[in-house]
Amino acid sequence: MANYAVATVIALSIILIGLLMLRPSITAAQGGKMVAFIAFFILPIVATVLGASIHLENSTSTQFCLSCHVMQTHGQSLYIDDPKYVPAAHFQNNRIPKDHACFTCHTDYTMFGDVNAKLRGLQHLYVYYFKPTPAKLALYEPFKNRECLHCHTNGRSYEESSPHKEMKDQLTSNEMSCLTCHSKIHDVANIDKTKKWKGPGA
Amino acid sequence: MIENSSRLQRKLKAAAYLLIAGLTVEVISLNWAHPTSFLLFIILGGVLVVAGILIYLIALVTA
Repeated sequence: MANYAVATVIALSIILIGLLMLRPSITAAQGGKMVAFIAFFILPIVATVLGASIHLENSTSTQFCLSCHVMQTHGQSLYIDDPKYVPAAHFQNNRIPKDHACFTCHTDYTMFGDVNAKLRGLQHLYVYYFKPTPAKLALYEPFKNRECLHCHTNGRSYEESSPHKEMKDQLTSNEMSCLTCHSKIHDVANIDKTKKWKGPGA
Repeated sequence: MIENSSRLQRKLKAAAYLLIAGLTVEVISLNWAHPTSFLLFIILGGVLVVAGILIYLIALVTA
């Protein structure tokens, strides 16, 4: 929908610019000058700002993250048929939105978390195009419990189950990582050896 | 006077070409969900549009 809105603004701008080029005499009148200002200045700025916002929104989609071939094994790991694999269990059971799966877990839930995620994305682009792909992909910093607790805090299965209840302070303060126990994550090194779920989109 | 007017026309024409090219690149990139399309949007589309707007503004100021 937003794409259509931007496309409409762009089409309108191009049509008006074309018209002004074909009939430059229009700009002699006051109204023509206004039309020129809208076509040459206002509409292109509106289109560019809206377009950038759509691109930023698109960049949070699963399809966007997995469109780089280096990420494709991570995408396959979402279909591992074993509930012990945390990303796969979250993805297959709709605990995270399927169309924003990567972003939901890998953004920082802080004031500038989304901005940081976008900056890291630009860094990924730089590495993707201008540097050799690293043999093993790794996070810039250890995965923080904050990202898990953003959803799980106050959730019954987390709050009332053992050992979460007993270790709540350590988990909240990040003293102990969630991944200490929930250690099966993407495991891309063994991706070919794992059985896959044949669910929708597989 | 005539020379001024033709100079203005030339600048407006240049601005028009840049804007049309930039906006076309932007609309194409919006239909492609890939990191390259984001770069295309910002680096090519954005730069062409900004250049077109600047030339238009310069044409207005110097007219």
